[in-house]
Amino acid sequence: MDPVNQIRLRQRRQYTRRFLRNLAVLLSLLAGLWQRVGAADEQSLEYQVKAAFLLNFAKFTEWPSSAFRSADAPLSICILGDDPFDGVLDQMIRGEAINGRKLAVLQIKRQPRPQTCQVLFMGKTQKDIRRTLADLGSGVLTVGEEESFLREGGMITFVIENRRTRFDVNPAAADSAGLKLSSKLLSVARTVKK
Amino acid sequence: MSTLECVCSGIPVTIGQIHKEQRTRAPKGTSCCLVPVRLLLFVVLPLMLCAAQEQDAAVRNPADLKNLTLEELSQIEVTTPSKAPARAFQTAAAISVITGEDIKRSGATSIPEALRLAPGVEVARIDGNKWSIGIRGFGSRLSRSVLVLIDGRTVYTPLFSGTYWEVQDTLMDDIDRIEVIRGPGGTIWGPNAVNGVINVITKDAHDTQGMLASVGGGNEEQGFANFRYGGGTEDFAYRVYGKAFTRGPESHTDGRNFDDWRAAQTGMRLDWAGRHQDKFTLQGDLYDEEAGESVQATSYTPPFSWIANDNALLSGGNVMARWARPLAEGNDLQVQAYYDRTNRHEPNFGETRNTFDVDFLQRLRLPARQQVSWGLGMRFSPVHDIEVVSGLTFRPNDRTDYLLTGFLQDDIGLVDHRLTLTLGTKVLRTNFADLSLEPSVRLLWTPTGRDTVWAAFTHGVRTPSDAEENFNLSGFLGSASDGTPSFARFNANNAFAPEQLNGYELGYRRLLGRSVYLDIAGFYNHYHDLFDEEIAGSTFLETSPAPAHFLLPAQFRNGLRGATEGGEIAPEWRPTSFWRLRGSYSYLHMNLGKSPGSGDIGTAPIIEGSSPGHQVLVQSAIDIKKTFQFDLTYRYTSALPGQNVPSYSTGDARFSWRRSHVEVSLVGRNLLQPSHFEYGGEPGPMVAIKRSVYAKIAWTQ
Repeated sequence: MDPVNQIRLRQRRQYTRRFLRNLAVLLSLLAGLWQRVGAADEQSLEYQVKAAFLLNFAKFTEWPSSAFRSADAPLSICILGDDPFDGVLDQMIRGEAINGRKLAVLQIKRQPRPQTCQVLFMGKTQKDIRRTLADLGSGVLTVGEEESFLREGGMITFVIENRRTRFDVNPAAADSAGLKLSSKLLSVARTVKK
Repeated sequence: MSTLECVCSGIPVTIGQIHKEQRTRAPKGTSCCLVPVRLLLFVVLPLMLCAAQEQDAAVRNPADLKNLTLEELSQIEVTTPSKAPARAFQTAAAISVITGEDIKRSGATSIPEALRLAPGVEVARIDGNKWSIGIRGFGSRLSRSVLVLIDGRTVYTPLFSGTYWEVQDTLMDDIDRIEVIRGPGGTIWGPNAVNGVINVITKDAHDTQGMLASVGGGNEEQGFANFRYGGGTEDFAYRVYGKAFTRGPESHTDGRNFDDWRAAQTGMRLDWAGRHQDKFTLQGDLYDEEAGESVQATSYTPPFSWIANDNALLSGGNVMARWARPLAEGNDLQVQAYYDRTNRHEPNFGETRNTFDVDFLQRLRLPARQQVSWGLGMRFSPVHDIEVVSGLTFRPNDRTDYLLTGFLQDDIGLVDHRLTLTLGTKVLRTNFADLSLEPSVRLLWTPTGRDTVWAAFTHGVRTPSDAEENFNLSGFLGSASDGTPSFARFNANNAFAPEQLNGYELGYRRLLGRSVYLDIAGFYNHYHDLFDEEIAGSTFLETSPAPAHFLLPAQFRNGLRGATEGGEIAPEWRPTSFWRLRGSYSYLHMNLGKSPGSGDIGTAPIIEGSSPGHQVLVQSAIDIKKTFQFDLTYRYTSALPGQNVPSYSTGDARFSWRRSHVEVSLVGRNLLQPSHFEYGGEPGPMVAIKRSVYAKIAWTQ
């Protein structure tokens, strides 16, 4: 067997193991959930998953220190305009820290001032994305959820594919804003814009 | 045509993108794909509810989500297929999507019955195995002005212009969705999409992994069995299926009970992802049916005229291959080819048809926010007609029908993706018609992410068919005192012109909060050169075909014109997470009349009187825990004076119970009365559609 196949096989075993572990968790949840009434609200599930992704994006991005106001300033995830997350994001960052920085969630109505936001999320209802992005200084990881977002100069955009949440990345845009996206992030992306 | 074209165009862009996105594979080397396949194959499917429960887990516990890896997050299903309307949201056409889940919960066992769920579509069951279907008017047995596609394969036949609904079938569980576009769609979808397009799209083989088996029966659906098995890997997936059913006759006052129906069908689909994100699909079906019918038969020899109650023997099959390659963002190309064979042996005529079709499509993104699509297609369809009675003949008996098409469309983003102008045209030529154009102009305005306003002007063409140009249909009028029989005959008219439409449409959609979705569309359609029946001369003594008889010559001509207007309102509301309500009200007013010089003998009032002016549908779907589902549907259809059908209200109900691999459901259809009329259209007393009940048990692994 050639080495590539061996690696793949090993990976598969690993996944199977991880899988069985997840399965055990699921089964235990299942027992409890059986009693509950009603199906999941899909809309909010989509945004719960997106919130978890946002947190992960922050983990897999390196900011220059100039992106922060001070050494102990928190890493702020800003939501521009309408907030589709319904408080989930706040719940999720509770007790989390990235590279020793606390996390904060800010809702903002207009263009953020420099060093306020390290992650900027612009939802579907956002207008004038192109202009907002153009006027944004460096050091801000921009995340959108429209396919056109990368074309307009954004860095990461969510795509719903096959009923699952995926994301596309434009590393060049991140580069020019002084951000370094980890290879891990790029490898999970659906497509990486060249 | 079709899904192919669907990838490109104004209407279809959104739809096409869904289709495309659904299977774009993650880049090679991305390990996350290993997970879902394992997940799908060995863990989740067997457990049936796992995926759903996992979602539940997430909902109750957002905190758990943050501990998942990026790969794991990528694998959580965040929307169900019923989210499809949100995709159709930004489309400059009156589109509605019936999802697989909608179909399941309506209890429909056939594609025509499922179409009752779409606004603006009129579905009337003629008997056990025949329907009259129309969109925004012009309902008829073969739905002459509606183009029907299954996975991009045109099932509209040029024989009698339309779709033989009784042979359009697949495993209902394998239908991903049915997209119904009301209004002319010829620019993108092809000729004959004058009043609408019905696009049946089956699931990708990756989404039908594992085993499914179901059996059931009842008073009308006397017995049915379905089986499917799907397997494969992350790149390559397949499924095979088989189904069979036997169905009893509807209610007959004269006890003829001719419309029993038996059918068996099998098929397969392969989907695989090649290098460069290429996608290949290979699929095919085979079917064999006996569909009882009652037809008027006429011959120039005694007994001259009789009603034949017998089985139509219907069989056929198709195979299709499709290759799609995404080149870059917004750029892709696609080629598809199919072969389709149909055999019909009815009590009064027969036909064997082979259809070969190839379509090419390319999408290009150009500067200045332009997206250009263009395509070419050709179809050849050699046909052999079998004469059974001398009163129904095709001349010549052996022909080749063909269709050549090309189209070009440009979507132009005018204002920051908020305003889009779509210009396009189709050029087509068939053996029945010279070069025709089907141009359209569409404007889409999305002032916010929650509102869409659109307007369209379209020119549509219904191309002539064998039924007008090569077809001779006789009717027995009586015998003279000396015993010489007298007939009237519609003679072939090879000067029949395409029917023409200029359609004007306006639409508005809105999302209200997170739980209400509203879709409103209005239209004004102006038609000319519409089909009519005319007397073509005075009675004379004809000696051939022998014996000698009196003949009154008649012809199908283009003697009608007129307009239709109307609209549809289709709200959808989710009052709670486990209750979904959707409904629609459709209004239609038809006003047809003779063109100057027309000798129409009364076609106009029959066409006008064969489509309902008002239709109402309300569907409620309730989930009780994950175990029970309770669904109710109410339907109202106003009278059809052209068919002597009074207005009716009826309802359907479904209750299902599911545990692990097994789901048991009980379905009642047309429950509000023992039987009711929906359509005339056949010789003899009208057939009434019965109340029906069936039970079904399904096993999934």
